[in-house]
Amino acid sequence: MVDLEVAHVSKRYWLPRTTEPGSRGWLRRAWSRVWPSYEPFWALRDVGFTLDRGEAVGIIGANGAGKSTLLKVLSEITAPTQGEVRLYGRLSALIEVGSGFHPELTGRENAFLNGAILGMRRAEIVAKLPQIIEFAGVGDFIDAPVKWYSSGMYVRLGFAIAAHLDPQILLVDEALAVGDESFRRKCYDRIMALRDGGATIVFISHDLLTVERLCDRAIFLQHGRVVLDGPVASVVSAYRRSLAGGSAHENAATAERPVTVTRVAAGGKTIGEPARTGHPLNVRVSYAARETIGGAAVQVWYCTNGGHMVHCEQTTSLSDEPLSLEAGAGDIDFHCPALSLQPGVYTMIARVVGRDGAVLHVFDAPSPLVVEAGLQTRGTFFMPHTWRVSSRGQQANAECA
Amino acid sequence: MPEAIRILAPPDWRSIATGAHLRRLSHYRDLLTVLSRHRINVRYKQSRLGGLWALLQPLAMMLVFTAVFARLVRVPSEGVPYALFAYVGILPWTFFSSAVSTGTGSLVTHAALVTKVFFPREILPLSYVIAAVVDLLIGSIVLVGLLIFYRVPLSPELLLVVPIVALLAIYALACGLVLSAIQVRLRDVGVALPIALQLLMFGSPVLYPLRVVPPAWRTLYLLNPLAGLIDGFRWSVLGRPLDLQALGIAAVVTLVALPAAYLVFKYADVTVADVI
Repeated sequence: MVDLEVAHVSKRYWLPRTTEPGSRGWLRRAWSRVWPSYEPFWALRDVGFTLDRGEAVGIIGANGAGKSTLLKVLSEITAPTQGEVRLYGRLSALIEVGSGFHPELTGRENAFLNGAILGMRRAEIVAKLPQIIEFAGVGDFIDAPVKWYSSGMYVRLGFAIAAHLDPQILLVDEALAVGDESFRRKCYDRIMALRDGGATIVFISHDLLTVERLCDRAIFLQHGRVVLDGPVASVVSAYRRSLAGGSAHENAATAERPVTVTRVAAGGKTIGEPARTGHPLNVRVSYAARETIGGAAVQVWYCTNGGHMVHCEQTTSLSDEPLSLEAGAGDIDFHCPALSLQPGVYTMIARVVGRDGAVLHVFDAPSPLVVEAGLQTRGTFFMPHTWRVSSRGQQANAECA
Repeated sequence: MPEAIRILAPPDWRSIATGAHLRRLSHYRDLLTVLSRHRINVRYKQSRLGGLWALLQPLAMMLVFTAVFARLVRVPSEGVPYALFAYVGILPWTFFSSAVSTGTGSLVTHAALVTKVFFPREILPLSYVIAAVVDLLIGSIVLVGLLIFYRVPLSPELLLVVPIVALLAIYALACGLVLSAIQVRLRDVGVALPIALQLLMFGSPVLYPLRVVPPAWRTLYLLNPLAGLIDGFRWSVLGRPLDLQALGIAAVVTLVALPAAYLVFKYADVTVADVI
């Protein structure tokens, strides 16, 4: 049974035309202020897909690919310029929760206000309020003005209201991924419960791991167009491949490729051991080459869940000597004496680049790198460091690594 | 295949005219209640004098204008004490001007909401009109005091106040709808509005009677529905015969203005989030 149908949807925005200041007379400038000129920008181009009841689909793509615009069109915040969307069930959107809150009103009053904005009837809110308060975990604060809430409580209450809408179609924005880890898990559990209850889920996110966990299908958007639509695993790997500069579509079949990366594995002192911040890291890239490849470079990319590359290391930049891969199978071992990444889950992507810069292969199967707590530092990354103190009074030195 | 319960498509006059939007609006009537109550609460919660301001505002205007127009220059008031004469004009005027000026800014004020959640946006200007009705009721307390003080007897014409206020609210809503939709694209509206309202006040029989308008200007003058409505409000409160021609023109203009304004608003509404 079809729940949602998107047919040839395009969305055009008008952006102010940028003009070089000072290049024209004052009269022209004044005129362009009163009557500015705009140029069209197509945020979505002929997007089409159909969702069956109970399907969970992830919408992925880089920034500016049209994800948010699609979300706005689906949630009726803005109308498409062309095409249409047909909905066959009640739709609710979990977008930036709590945006309708008023600081002067109490949590309870805001629950009514916010629920009403989301289209709930008063009786419905009254019936669900105990569950909402319980879910949000705000307790007695429900009767205090929300300006006294911590930002966590604010977000929790916002999500709790939206999550109790009982929609048939649920739009989830990644902005939801706020709050602490335990509440985030609670949110995902709630989404899973709605999903298991038969709701259709549209999940719009950068977070590829969550998309893989929540969805069974994914749609990959690029420059406002649907590039790929299919099972989540293959679409997400195509997206990873495109992040690493490969083509979104599967490049030449394995048999024709001169070299194929077969595995990327990481570990602490040895492969397979847990990796810790500040401790050594070893990464092994296994490959199979059909012929000897001269002048190649092998790269390992470390990406956040959002697909953002935080570090890339490659064979040639250290030695400056071109690498020659012998025909047959082999391993390249990367060694890092002190891992700079803070604890968290990262994704590794490996690629082989040929002499002329051509990308020979991108290995995009999910290869997670789990970094556990090691040497403790604050901030975004760890820097290997030492310190010493020199006391001028008694010429005594203390040193510590 | 079952029928789609909602179709999201580019803006189109014909689909707006079917009235489907009105059915949607009725589903959101709880939101209207909550928002209107919220307006009133928030407006007076942070000020010490609270709801008293709804009383003081027209009262202060009345005192100033009485000092000027009854003492310094003599404005005819058809035998009614000028303070009372002015107050029955200022009360509906304040209602109209506050409903229009708050309603005009309503979409821009709620930009965060408009760009993040769907709901029938006409509820925003509408809730300001409702909040202004409450202010009008509070302001009426002074009016009752003045009527008792000047010993104005109750008359059957008083019943006409209800439909007149309803027409006034409809006209304020129509103005609020159109101006708020334009304000989103052209912020100049918000800047120009106070000046325009000032001019409109002197172009309406707020501080002087309708009868002093020269006959040559009368037709043009009456096209402004405020002329017939404020004049009608005044004489029905004071229990004198009404200028029915003026009131009739006002009613026709008002009842045409609202559907037209609603069409314009709904057409602009679907892309408001793109430009706000």
